[in-house]
Amino acid sequence: MTLALEIKNLVKTFGGLTATDNLNFDIKEGRSVGLIGPNGAGKTTVFSQIMGELQQTSGQISLFGTDLGTLPTSKRIRLGVSRTYQIPRPFLELSVVENIRVGLMPNSIWSMIIKGPDHTKEEKLALEVGLAETDFEKPASELSMGDLRKLELARTIATGAKVLLLDEVFAGLTTGEIAQISSLIQDLRAKGFTLLIVSHDLPALEPLIDHVIAIERGRIIATGNFKDVVNDESVRASYLGQAT
Amino acid sequence: MGLRWYHFTAWGLFAIGLALLPEIVSKGTLRTFIFANYLVIFAISWDLLSGRTGYISFGHPFLIGIGAYTSAILTKRFGIDVELAIPIAVIVTMIGGLIVLLPALRIRGSYFALVTLAFMELMYQLVQVIRPDLTGGTRGMSGIQTLTRGAVNGFYFSSFLMFVIAISSWFLLRTRIGTALTAIGLNESAVEGSGLSVTKLKMFAFMASAFVAGLGGAFYVHYLGSLAPRALFDINFVFTIIVAVLIGGASTIIGPIIGALFLTFLLEYLRPYLPGAERYFIYGGIALLLYMYQPKGIYALITSGWQMLQEKSVK
Ligand SMILES: Nc1ncnc2c1ncn2[C@@H]1O[C@H](COP(=O)(O)OP(=O)(O)O)[C@@H](O)[C@H]1O
Ligand SMILES: [Mg+2]
Repeated sequence: MTLALEIKNLVKTFGGLTATDNLNFDIKEGRSVGLIGPNGAGKTTVFSQIMGELQQTSGQISLFGTDLGTLPTSKRIRLGVSRTYQIPRPFLELSVVENIRVGLMPNSIWSMIIKGPDHTKEEKLALEVGLAETDFEKPASELSMGDLRKLELARTIATGAKVLLLDEVFAGLTTGEIAQISSLIQDLRAKGFTLLIVSHDLPALEPLIDHVIAIERGRIIATGNFKDVVNDESVRASYLGQAT
Repeated sequence: MGLRWYHFTAWGLFAIGLALLPEIVSKGTLRTFIFANYLVIFAISWDLLSGRTGYISFGHPFLIGIGAYTSAILTKRFGIDVELAIPIAVIVTMIGGLIVLLPALRIRGSYFALVTLAFMELMYQLVQVIRPDLTGGTRGMSGIQTLTRGAVNGFYFSSFLMFVIAISSWFLLRTRIGTALTAIGLNESAVEGSGLSVTKLKMFAFMASAFVAGLGGAFYVHYLGSLAPRALFDINFVFTIIVAVLIGGASTIIGPIIGALFLTFLLEYLRPYLPGAERYFIYGGIALLLYMYQPKGIYALITSGWQMLQEKSVK
């Protein structure tokens, strides 16, 4: 099996703070992996480095065997990796379908001008993530947190990336919304997407992943199947004193 | 592109209105309309870059100036035909602007505005120092070839130019590129995070803006027949452009048209009472009113009024 994502000796320091401390892991194509750890463990920082939003201090990140080096974010997305954010980042004044349109656009000025938007594809994606047809023309500023997460997921999938990094997908959602997003993620797995999922909601995460990586202070403290990892002494200790 | 019958009707009515105007108004008013037309062109140029992407340019006279000076110098000093001089002027504006301002697109917010402002001032100093035999130095240039004679002629010519620029920009911004540029203004990093090169998009917006500025600048100088650097590279001129866009409604094309017309006539009628710097009070006052009541400008006022009427008639 090919490796979708490979992280070798990754280090990121912010001044005196080591947010990623010699991290090593890889994800096989089509697998779904959970990334857990207490607040400030360095999960989001790993995502930002994979996307090139933060440049690593040292170490290597490869996508389908290609070293990402210092490539800009847009190029990494074209190579096949895309992410969502802990706090969604919609285009607030654009409508739901226009938000998805931006994700679907090719990175070519010429084609943006001469080819009109693909309304069928836009609407299909919106429905797939569970957005209602009545919301299509609404500006993103009027959406609930749950719908914003769905919209962001739709825009992320729209880029065509096959490796998705999902950051705190369940944060701020109602139980009903959690169920919706969960079944959406199951669909993505069935379609062969490679997933790396960060979540504080461990029971919701469990059914969505093949295995789990636990980190603390930028280091891996346990890895393996879900039950073993959450019952691991050091993992339990790291979560101690913190609501999970 | 979402074209509707009323879009064509509106543009058609606009064209007919322009065509009939010389029958209706006096020659003096027509001259005011000529200035309004050029202000519309400059306002659209500004809106293409700043209204969409949120990169506020205070240096647009810099671009307009490159277009105007290039065409004036080529025709007057080198005897080149105006048909050739204007396209060259447009290309020089795009290249010149690109070389100088592109590094500035890497910086955001007020710094971008400051850098562009500095370039305008720099250009003013440069035309005085470098080859004043070509640029005419502080005194500027006069006796530049004009393309039209009389108010009616000049009005039709400038209206045609303005109309073509307006409708092309409007079409352009209704394509996906318009959505992408708007998205940059809303959240630049999320555009990059959608797999689009923000640098490439900003460069495009900049080139489109420079194209229109160069074209407008070149034709404007061949309308005036003279070039005065102190009036061109003037903060007052930048404010006029920006306020025209903001009054009308940024990021709409229709907005800059309405805004430029409104502002030109407002200033024209107030001219006897406003000999000089008092204009700034008008600009400041208008900006404040807009900020408090309708940040999206007159066009938004009209469309929301229209919607209210429709809703009433439905009930
Ligand atoms: N841009 C930054 N500058 C300085 N420190 C940062 C920055 N981003 C994150 N950190 C720090 O790095 C550590 C890891 O943060 P983060 O990756 O957001 O954790 P998590 O997502 O696991 O909660 C935290 O201590 C955080 O304060
Ligand atoms: Mg985080």
